[in-house]
Amino acid sequence: MSAAARLRAASERFLRPVLAELRAAGLLTVPRFARTSSFRLTLLYGALFSLSAALLFGLVYWIATGYVAGQIDSAIATEIAEERADGGGTLAGLKAVIATQARDASPGAYYLLQDARGHVVAGNLPAMPPRMGTQEWTLHNGSVVRGRGLAAPQGGYLLVGLDASNLRELRHAIGYAFLWVVAGTLVLALIGGSVMSFSVLGRVEAISRASRRIVEGDLGQRVALRGTNDEFDHLATSLNAMLDRIEALMGGMRQVSSDIAHDLRTPLSRHRQRLELALLQGDSVEQLRATLGASLADIDTILETFSALLRIARLESRADPPPLLPLDLGQVAEDVTQAYRAVAEEQGHHLACQRMNPTPLRGSRDLLTQMFANLVENALRHTPAGTTISVTTARIDDVAVARVCDDGPGIPTAERAAAFRPFYRLEASRTTPGTGLGLALVAAIADLHGARVTLSDNRPGLRAEIRFDAKPQPTAEPDPACLARVVALSHRRLPEPYAMRVEHMLRAIHALMQSLHGRARPGP
Amino acid sequence: MRILLVEDDRETADYALQGLTREGHSLRVATDGREALLLASCEDWDLLVVDRMLPHLDGLALVRMLRAGGTTTPALFLTALGEVNDRVAGLQAGGDDYLVKPFALAELAARVEALGRRAQRQVPPETVLSVGDIEIDLLTHLARRRGEPLDLQERELRILEYLMRNAGRVVTRTMLLESIWGFHFTPRTNLVESNISRLRTKLGQESDAGPIETVRGLGYRLHVRGR
Repeated sequence: MSAAARLRAASERFLRPVLAELRAAGLLTVPRFARTSSFRLTLLYGALFSLSAALLFGLVYWIATGYVAGQIDSAIATEIAEERADGGGTLAGLKAVIATQARDASPGAYYLLQDARGHVVAGNLPAMPPRMGTQEWTLHNGSVVRGRGLAAPQGGYLLVGLDASNLRELRHAIGYAFLWVVAGTLVLALIGGSVMSFSVLGRVEAISRASRRIVEGDLGQRVALRGTNDEFDHLATSLNAMLDRIEALMGGMRQVSSDIAHDLRTPLSRHRQRLELALLQGDSVEQLRATLGASLADIDTILETFSALLRIARLESRADPPPLLPLDLGQVAEDVTQAYRAVAEEQGHHLACQRMNPTPLRGSRDLLTQMFANLVENALRHTPAGTTISVTTARIDDVAVARVCDDGPGIPTAERAAAFRPFYRLEASRTTPGTGLGLALVAAIADLHGARVTLSDNRPGLRAEIRFDAKPQPTAEPDPACLARVVALSHRRLPEPYAMRVEHMLRAIHALMQSLHGRARPGP
Repeated sequence: MRILLVEDDRETADYALQGLTREGHSLRVATDGREALLLASCEDWDLLVVDRMLPHLDGLALVRMLRAGGTTTPALFLTALGEVNDRVAGLQAGGDDYLVKPFALAELAARVEALGRRAQRQVPPETVLSVGDIEIDLLTHLARRRGEPLDLQERELRILEYLMRNAGRVVTRTMLLESIWGFHFTPRTNLVESNISRLRTKLGQESDAGPIETVRGLGYRLHVRGR
C-alpha cells in the first residue's frame, strides 16, 4: 500500500470512532436553523460576494500599488541615467556625482556607491551586499525604501532608492479595507441567513402544529395564512382547501351513516315483523307465498335505497367520474319531459317543456337525465292533480340554467336547505313511497357538473333551479406519484424532524382520501 | 338454448343456473376466465353470460379476446359495477347487454331470450315489420293495424317496434326503459305502464290481455297471433 493509502486507512481507523463518539454526544450536530436551505443559500451568497470582493480588491491592489511603484521606479531610472551620464563611465566620476547628490538630496532619497571590495565610496547608505535589480528594503529607522541596484564601473555597485512608505501605507490600507469588507459580508450573511431561517422554520412549525392537530382528529383545524402570498401561503391555501373537502366528505358520510341507520331500520323491522307473524300463524301455503312475495318487494326497496346511496357516494367522491361530453341541456330536458307526459296526464298533471335558446353544455347525458327525472318525479308526487309542472332551459349571460317549477304547495322556507339531505322527508310526505334520496342525488349530479341547485318559492309552488356556472370539479383522485414527489421535496427543503412531520400529515390525508374513494366503490 | 355461464361466486352461479334451467335452457358453468375462454373457443354456444370480476382473466378481457378471435356469440355481462363508465366499457369490449347485480331472475331470463333470438334470426334487411295484424313500415315510420293507419308518436312507435321485434317473449320494464328512453335507473313512477297504456289505447286494445299482454311481475309481451 502506498503511503497516502496507509495514511488514509490510519486516519479512518482513528477518526471514525472519534467522530461517532462526538456525534453521539451531540457535539457535532449542526443547529436546526443552519440546516435549512435558506441558510445554506445565504452562506453560498456570502461566499460568492466575498469572492467577488476579493477579486475586486485584488485588482485595485495590483493596479494602485503597481502605479505608485512604477512612479518611484521611473524616477529612480531617470536619476540613474543622469548620474551615469554625468559620471562619465569611471568610478571616480560617479563618486563625485553621487557625493553631490547625497549632500543636496531631499529627504527620502538614498544613494550608495561601493567599490569592488564592498567599501562605501559615496552616498548616505551603509554598505550593503550588492544585489542587482529592483528591490525593497527596510532601513534601521524603519523606513521602507524602494530602489534599484546595478553594476558600477570597475566592479563597483550603485544603488539608488526612494522612500516608499506611502506605497506601504497604500498596501496596508487596501488590505485592511478588504479584510473588513469580507468579514462584514460574512457576518451579515450569517445574521441574515439565520434570521431568514428562523422565520422559515417558524412558518413550517405553524403548519406542522396545525397538521398534528388535524391528524389527531380535529378536522376543523386550518393552517393560518400570513397574508404575504408567498409559497408558504400557497401551501397553506392548498392544504386548507384539501381539508375543507375532506371535512365536507366526512361530515356527509357521518350524516348519511346515521340517516341510513334510522331510515332503514323501519322497513327492516316491518319486514321482520311480517316474517315472524307468518311463522307464528302457520298460514296456508298460498298465504306464505304472499308473505314471501311482499318480503321480496321490501328487500328490493331496501336494495334500491342502497344502490341510490352508493351512486350518490360515488358521485360525491369523484371516483371514476363519467366523461363530460358536449350535449344540449334543453334536449335532455325535453327527452325526459316527453317520457313522463303519459304519467303526468294519467295523474291529472300538466307537464310542459320549454327551451328558450340552445344550451350547449359538457355533461353526462345519463346523469343529467336522471337529475331531471328525479325533479319531475318529485313534482308529480308531491303536488295534487291539476298542478302545472314546467321544465325550462335557457342560456342566460353565458350560463346554462334549468328550472323545474310547479304551482303546488311548495316547500316551506325553513325546510328548503335541509331537503337535500339524504333521507330527508317533509312532514307532509312522510308516508309517500320513495327513498328520500331524490334531491340528494340531484345535488350530487349538479355538483359533479359544477352546477348549483337551489330551491325557492315559485309564488306559488316550488322552483328548483340548476345553474351551471362553475367549472366541473376536477377529480380528487389521490395520486401516489404526486404524494411521493411532494414528500421528496419536503425532505430536500426542510430539516429532518419537520420533513418527517409534513410527510406524516400528507400520508394521513392521502390514506383518508383513498379510503373515501374505496368505500364508495362497490365490491365484485 | 345452450348457455355458458361464467361466474366465480358459487351462490350467484346457482341462482342463475336454477333460474335459467327452469326456462328450459341448458347451462354449463365456468368459474374462471381462462376455463371459459377454452370452453367458449372449443364449443358452440348460443349465449354467454359473463361476470365481469373473474379470477385469472376478467370478463371484459375474455369477451374482447373471443371477439378478436371471431366469435359472434352474444354476450351478456353480469356485474355489480353499474355506472356509466362501466356500462360503456362492457359494450365496447364486445358485450351485447349489461345487467347490474342484484338482478331479478325474470330480468335475466327475459334478456337471455331477447339476446338468444337476436342471433338466431336471419337478418335480411326488412322494410316492413309485421306481427299478427300489426305492421310497421320502417321507411315511412307508419304503423297499421288490420290495414288501418295508427296515429303514433315517435316514442310509441319505438315501443311497438321493440315489442314486435321481441314478439312472443317477455320484455321487462327495465329493458324498455333502457332501449326506448335510455334511462339507466329505476324511475319511482310507473312511467312504462303509462306509456304502454297509451299505446294500447291507440291500438284499440281494451284489456290487459292482448295483443300487448301484461305479464305480472315480469313485463309485457306482444302476442304473435294477435287478434
